[in-house]
Order: sequence, then C-alpha cells, then structure tokens
Amino acid sequence: METAELQEKIFAYMEKMKGKKKLKEKDVIKALAEETTEAPDAVKKALRGMIDVGRLMYSYGGGASSVEIPSEEYLREKGLIK
Amino acid sequence: MALPKRQTDIGPPKYDQFIPPVIKKNYGKWKYHEVLTGGTMVHVAESGDTLHTVRVASPRILSTETIRDICDMAERYCEGYLRFTTRNNVEFLVSDKSKMEPLLKELKEKKYSVGGIGPRISNIVHTQGWVHCHSACTDASGMVKAIMDDVYDYFTTKELPNKVRLAVACCVNMCGAVHCSDIAVVAVHRKVPTINHELVTKVCEIPTTVASCPTSAIRPNPKEKTVTINEEKCMYCGNCFTVCPPIDIHKPDEDGVAIVVGGKIGSLRTSPKFSKLAIPFFYNEPPRWPKVVAAVRNILETYAKNAKKHERVGEWIERIGWESFFKLTGIEFTFQHIDDFTFARDTFRTSAAFKY
Amino acid sequence: MSGKYKTPLLDELEKGPWPSFVTEIKKAAKKSPMADDELGQLEKSYRTKRGYWKHGGIVGVLGYGGGVIGRYSSLPEEFPGIAHFHTVRINQTSGFFYTAEALKMICDIWDKYGSGLTNMHGSTGDLVLLGTTTENLEAIFAEYSSRGWDLGGSGSAMRTPSCCVGPGRCEWSNIDTLDITYTLTQEFQDELHRPAFPYKFKIKTAGCAVDCVAAIARADLSIIGTWKGNIQIDQAEVKKYADAGMNIQAEIVEMCPTNCMSYNGTLKINDAECSRCMHCIAKMTKALRSGKEKGATLLVGSKAPIVVGSLLSWVIVPFIKVDAPYTELKDMIRKMIGWWDDTAKPRERIGEVIEAEGMRSFLEAIGVPAQPQQVKEPRKDPFFFWEESDFQK
Ligand code: HEM
Ligand code: HEM
Ligand code: HEM
Ligand code: SF4
Ligand code: SF4
Ligand code: SF4
Ligand code: SF4
Repeated sequence: METAELQEKIFAYMEKMKGKKKLKEKDVIKALAEETTEAPDAVKKALRGMIDVGRLMYSYGGGASSVEIPSEEYLREKGLIK
Repeated sequence: MALPKRQTDIGPPKYDQFIPPVIKKNYGKWKYHEVLTGGTMVHVAESGDTLHTVRVASPRILSTETIRDICDMAERYCEGYLRFTTRNNVEFLVSDKSKMEPLLKELKEKKYSVGGIGPRISNIVHTQGWVHCHSACTDASGMVKAIMDDVYDYFTTKELPNKVRLAVACCVNMCGAVHCSDIAVVAVHRKVPTINHELVTKVCEIPTTVASCPTSAIRPNPKEKTVTINEEKCMYCGNCFTVCPPIDIHKPDEDGVAIVVGGKIGSLRTSPKFSKLAIPFFYNEPPRWPKVVAAVRNILETYAKNAKKHERVGEWIERIGWESFFKLTGIEFTFQHIDDFTFARDTFRTSAAFKY
Repeated sequence: MSGKYKTPLLDELEKGPWPSFVTEIKKAAKKSPMADDELGQLEKSYRTKRGYWKHGGIVGVLGYGGGVIGRYSSLPEEFPGIAHFHTVRINQTSGFFYTAEALKMICDIWDKYGSGLTNMHGSTGDLVLLGTTTENLEAIFAEYSSRGWDLGGSGSAMRTPSCCVGPGRCEWSNIDTLDITYTLTQEFQDELHRPAFPYKFKIKTAGCAVDCVAAIARADLSIIGTWKGNIQIDQAEVKKYADAGMNIQAEIVEMCPTNCMSYNGTLKINDAECSRCMHCIAKMTKALRSGKEKGATLLVGSKAPIVVGSLLSWVIVPFIKVDAPYTELKDMIRKMIGWWDDTAKPRERIGEVIEAEGMRSFLEAIGVPAQPQQVKEPRKDPFFFWEESDFQK
C-alpha cells in the first residue's frame, strides 16, 4: 500500500476513535496492521510521518502518553495554519 | 529573525568534548584519591598526573547569572572545565595545582560553600515543591535551605561516622529517590481530596479521572456527570488532581511532612536499604520549618554520638535495633509506625528476643 | 517589572550560610518578569501553605512527544508572567561534564527565551530549564538542536540515561560508565523522544557497588560495574595505612560482611568468599584494587513508592561483559524492554510487571537461566509450578 493511502486510513481510524479512547501509538499500529495487513513497522513509519508534520500529535495525560488529532490551537502555534 | 535549522534525534554532545586534557590522558587509569579538606580532593593517576577537585554547594535552582559566574571562575582556574555531581554540587576540575589557592580564595570572597566530600553531609537531593510542581504539599527548596543552614558545619568541616545522605521530596511521588536516604523528609497529604462537582462536570474527562486513581477509589457518577471518592480506599496520592484540578488535594492546614531514616544505596558492607518511618508528621511551618530542622538535627547527632566509625545510619540502627533507636532519639512510637501496607507482615517481630 | 513583590517570608531564606534559591530567583527576576512573578507566587505559597501550579495542556515540539513539561499557574490573572511556565528538559552530558563555553551558550539562549532559571540538574539527570511559554518552544528547540543539544524524555518514554563520573575521575570504576551512557542515549533516541512505551523507563549506570548515581534505587535498569578474580593487594600500602593510624582489624577486617579477611601485619583475603561489596577498597584505596576481569551486574525494577510500594532493583544478570560497541548489552536491553512493552498494562513499570507475571516469565523471555545470585534465599513454601519444559529434562 502507498504510504499516503495508509496514512489516510490511519487518519480515518483516529477520527473514528476520537473522544472514545485514548490511543497509545501501539494501539494504532496494531489496529491498522490488522485492518490493512501491512507490517507493523510500515504502519509505524507512516504514523511517524504524520506526527512529524503535525497531522497527528503525541498527547499526555494521567501519567501516560497517547496519540491524537491536534487541536486548531496546536496547529496555529506551530504555524501550520493561520 | 530567522531561526537556525532544527535537528532531531541527535542526543547530547559527546562527553569527550568536555573533559580536561588531564582526564583524557588518564581516562580509566586513576590510581587513588585523597580527601584533602571537607570540600577538596586530589585524584592521582598511574602516570603520576594529578587532578584537584573543589566541590561547591548549589541550591540546584540556579540563575543564568550564577552559572555565568561559576563559568568565569572555571575559565580563570580550570581552563573552563567543570562538572556537576548527582547531588547537584558544582565541581571545579583543577589541573594546575597552583590555581587551587586563588580559586578557593575567590570562592570564599564570593561566599560560595565549599564542602560535601568525605564522611560528611553532601547536598540534599530534592524535588520541585511549590516552586514548580502541581503536586507539592510542601516546598522542597525552602526546607533544604533551612536544614542545610542548620547542619552547615557537617557539610564544610565536621566529620561524621560515615557519609549521611539527606533528601527531601515534596509529595509521595518522591521524584528524587528519597526512599533510600539516610535521613529524608517526605511531604504527605492526609485527607481525601474535595470535589468541586460543578467544575468536574465542566472541565474533566470522567473516564480519565477514574482511571487515574491507583487504588480504584474513584467511581463515576454518570447521573450527575461527576465522580465520587471512596474514602476507605483513598491514600491521598493526588493523581486525580493531576488529571482533574477541580478535585483538590491541597489542604493547607492538614498537609505536612514525615521523616524517614536508615536507607542506603551502596552495597558496601550491607545491602541497599529502604528508609523507614521515624516521625509520621509535622505541620508545614514556612519559611523555615523549625521543628523539622530540629528533628533532623536530633537524629543526626544521636547517630554521630552512637554509631561506630564507617557505620551508616541504617547500619547503626540495625545493629542497635529499632527499639533502641526510638529510645536514644526520644522519638515517640505510634500506630503510624506499624506497617499496614503491601509488605506489612514482613515487618512484624517474630522473635522472643528484643530490647527495652 | 522586577522587584514588583514584597517577599518578607522568602527573604528569611536569604539568611544563613547555605546558598539561597531565593537569591537565585531574585537574580533572574532582575531580567525576567517571568521570574519575578514566580517569586510573587512562591511568596503567596509560603503565606497560604499551598502550591498554585496546574498540570496539563499538551505542549511540545513538532514530532516529539516528550522533553517539555506543561506547567501553568492556577492564578494567571494575579501572576500573568507565569501563566505559562513550562519545563524544558535538555540532555545532560555523560557524567555532567561541561565547559564554560558550552554552559554560557546554554545560558544565552535561555535568557532570550525563558525565565533565566534552571535546575542543574533535574532528578532524572536532564539539564532542566525552568519556565518558558508555549510560543517559544519551537525556537528553543531550533536554537539548541542546531548547536548539538537535544531534548530529554518525558511521558511514556525512555528517560535520558545517566551515570556516575566513572573512569573520568574514579579509580574504582570497573566499566566505562560515560561511554556506555553516551552510547545508550544515542541508541535509544527514538524511544526517548517518541513515547511508545507503557510508562517511563530509566537506565542508570554506576561504575561500582558504591553506586554514586543511586542506580539501584531509581532506575528500571541499573547497570553496576563489578569484577571477577582476586582483589589486588599492595602490602606496602597496607602497611602505610596501619602506620598512619588506621585500625585495620576493626575498620576493615571486622567490617567485612563476609568475614573473608584477616590481618596480622599482612592483609589476606579469601576471594572465593568475598561478595565484592567495595567496603575495603573504598576505605584503603591506595592498597586495594578490584580484580582484573571487569564487567557489570544488570539489575532491574527499582522505582519510587507509587503505588504499591518502592522497589529496589533485582539482580537479573549477575555478570555481563560490557565492552565497546556494547552489542551484547544493547541486545539484552532490547529484549528486556520488548518483553515489558508486550506484557505491561498502561502505567506499569517493569518491576511491577515482573512481580505480576513472575520472575520466570521474564527470565525466560530474555534468555537468562535461573541462578542463585538472583535471590537472597530460595522460596519457603512448597507451592510451586511445573511447566512442560521442566519434564523434558
Ligand atoms: C539519593 C541517593 C544518592 C545520591 C543521589 C547520591 C549521589 C552521589 C553523588 C553525586 C556523588 C558524587 C559522585 C560523583 O563524583 O559523581 C556521590 C558519591 C558517593 N556516594 Fe552517593 N548518593 C546517594 C546515596 C548514597 C548512598 C546511600 C551511599 C552509601 C552507601 C552513597 C555513597 C557514596 C560514596 C561512597 C560516594 C563516593 C565517594 C566520594 O565522593 O568520596 N551515596 N553520591
Ligand atoms: C502519577 C505519578 C506522577 C506524577 C503525576 C508526576 C509528575 C511529575 C511532574 C509534573 C514533574 C515535573 C516537575 C517540574 O519540573 O515541574 C515530575 C518530575 C519528576 N518525576 Fe514525577 N510524577 C509521578 C511519579 C513519579 C515517580 C513514581 C517517579 C520516580 C520513580 C518520578 C520521578 C520524577 C523525576 C525524577 C522528576 C524530575 C524531578 C526533579 O528534577 O525535581 N515521578 N513528576
Ligand atoms: C496444601 C499444603 C499442605 C498440606 C496439605 C499439609 C498437610 C499437613 C498435614 C496432614 C500435617 C500433619 C498433621 C498432623 O499429623 O497432625 C501437616 C503438618 C505440618 N505442616 Fe503441613 N501441609 C501443607 C502445607 C504446609 C506448609 C506450606 C508448611 C510450612 C511452610 C507446613 C508446615 C507444617 C508443619 C510445621 C507441620 C507440623 C509438623 C510436625 O508437627 O512435625 N505445611 N501438614
Ligand atoms: S515529588 Fe511530587 S511534588 Fe515533588 S516534584 Fe515530584 S511529583 Fe512534584
Ligand atoms: S488522591 Fe489518589 S488515591 Fe485518592 S482518590 Fe485521588 S487518585 Fe485516588
Ligand atoms: S559508583 Fe563507584 S565508580 Fe562510580 S563514581 Fe561512585 S565510587 Fe566511583
Ligand atoms: S569487598 Fe567487601 S566482602 Fe570483599 S573483602 Fe572487601 S569488605 Fe570483604
């Protein structure tokens, strides 16, 4: 699968799960590896690509880190949107 | 102004750029060291080269102004080389012995505190406190300052039977490894947090808040969109407050500190040990916590008077027995001293032989 | 701006001989309104006996999931300068060695973007910059990283490994603590910056059992230098200690925990009985040196008491060779972390998982056999399990 396509699938999954459960990076990798039959490493790489450009971000709460879709405030602060 | 280009995952610069030539030359080939005074020592290499060290106290919180001043002295006397210790002291690494005297002179003039080497008290390992942590039920920096002012002589000159390592943690998270110190102060909350239900509904994620509690004391109350706390289970850790500030753990009039003693890290002679409860509670008395300071001094001096040479606080107490420790120090023994937590049964006495 | 607040309580803490953190905050406050508001809020805490900090709000630099800890005043109207007062963790160097030039560079950047206050160092080991705003984070990261300094870890990630001074200045070091720490920090950059673990993971390395970094008490993996072979004795130096007044019988022989020493003008050690505790070597450094075959003991699991009680690290690998490029060590660490990552519930440290799953499960996963060095004593009860593999022997 093309990285871009995989990334769309990851994003769709993140949108679906938004507000339901705090996802660790590993949860996302596992879910998408199952859904797409891509190797976990490939999913991880695609996921990291999204985090690097601010399409997804790491979050933290209650002592544990998770991955989520960034808020507008975050994107504005990083200069990714006006 | 344009920013320089960021780099990722480069890690810290390699240590070898920061070590003086005499260390580079004698790396791993040190033969022995001698403690010269309470705050100076010399390391001698197999080659015969020497490196002198001057150890200086720091409050750990340092302004850039003070760091620059320390750097200026390092440039004047140490070709710019210096290091910090795990216990947050500054060490000047003097390759040229003739620079020792002027360095010590300047340090003295500027009122830096030289000490912490040998069988003495070193700097107190401590955490953030009211200066910077949401969880804090006391201020670590202030208490450290008050204690060190009081036991100052044991940092600079006076000797003890062995090293005494002090620590202060400003809540039970104990970010600073207080749990294995000779004498440590740990701050404790003593009451179940108060819930501002209206605000909880507004600002907190209920599932996260429930999940934050390590003892499962928090239950959701879906009808009111808030939570309840089971008072029997709560052990006042404050984790819930971390994720949901309207659950307020702070109780200024009930918060305070406990003193624990007898821990050690090294495996010398006896195995590393946890510190154990000596005094269950003191109220916070900022700015100088006089009762805590007096209690630390009492334990320290009782140890100094009674321990054998080279015995650490914990080794001394094990030799004489805890019952004697309480007697010698005059500290009252209470129900709080008897363990009722995870490893309680290992602490109950199972021998008919003991002292009064 | 500066000197906005009267601070009668904190002023009390400028008295006395020990260096004062209040003086430090005041020095920073001369230049930084942030530091001045920190001072004002702290005075209020001293008056009311409570803190005014809030956790939360996600802050960080693009792509990383750690290294910055969000910190906000809960009284932003009263103390606007510290409405944001985030911590930035910068990787310390191995052994905390610096040059004045490097530190001054760090200070210059920090004065430009932050409060001018630091912790040298934080309890994890990182060089801690105390107090900046969200808007400044990317700039701070660009300035430091372009000059060769990276961020430390926070959240569910590796922490910056740290170590004792080791071969840099200690004759007792059995291993190259500085190089091991530098190498491991580089090896685990990804694990440090991108939180993918169940919880935090700390590695600390001490050159000998004196353990000057408290590795055994505050690292998930404690690497402690040790040796095999006989302690090397220089009898002439022993004699000098005796001549200088040391009571060798009382201070050395009788304090040896294994009773393996004797002294009657010459010092004898029954090395087969020695437990390598370091007491005699530490007290007679000129006369005694550790044995020649060097390596390390790997211990796993220590943590602070939250929540079921503190743990000290347990001996897992009694002796492992640790020479550059440390391949065997790295492989072992990856196996340990891999098992933990696969097995742990969120927020479980490795020591807690070993307790929950059983030591056997951990040892088998990392391929380490059962050895008496791993326990203080064998079990007392007869309730033990047998597995299929045990019947095939
Ligand atoms: C929280 C606990 C502790 C911390 C953070 C700590 C930290 C330190 C530091 C920073 C040094 C200076 C080493 C260097 O040059 O880098 C040191 C030295 C030392 N510590 Fe500790 N220590 C702790 C507990 C202990 C304990 C419990 C023992 C005893 C068993 C101990 C024994 C020593 C010895 C023997 C030295 C080295 C010898 C010397 O400096 O003269 N430490 N420690
Ligand atoms: C759920 C529990 C915990 C929470 C919410 C927590 C929170 C925090 C926070 C907010 C800080 C940053 C303080 C600052 O610089 O502003 C911190 C620092 C730190 N924490 Fe924790 N912590 C927890 C448990 C622990 C435990 C169990 C340990 C040790 C095993 C630990 C070790 C540390 C260390 C070493 C630091 C650096 C402290 C310093 O340099 O003063 N934390 N923690
Ligand atoms: C399921 C496990 C066990 C069973 C079924 C069991 C059964 C028994 C029985 C039938 C007796 C003889 C009673 C008598 O003759 O009056 C006995 C005695 C005893 N058992 Fe157990 N036992 C068990 C576990 C243990 C354990 C774990 C311990 C100690 C750690 C233990 C310690 C003893 C002792 C000290 C005696 C007395 C022996 C004596 O008087 O000479 N037992 N047990
Ligand atoms: S010990 Fe508690 S209050 Fe102190 S810095 Fe750590 S988490 Fe904060
Ligand atoms: S203070 Fe700790 S134990 Fe008590 S309810 Fe909050 S999280 Fe649970
Ligand atoms: S742990 Fe051992 S090797 Fe390292 S500095 Fe301390 S005494 Fe030296
Ligand atoms: S290292 Fe410890 S056990 Fe070994 S001889 Fe010396 S004092 Fe005895």
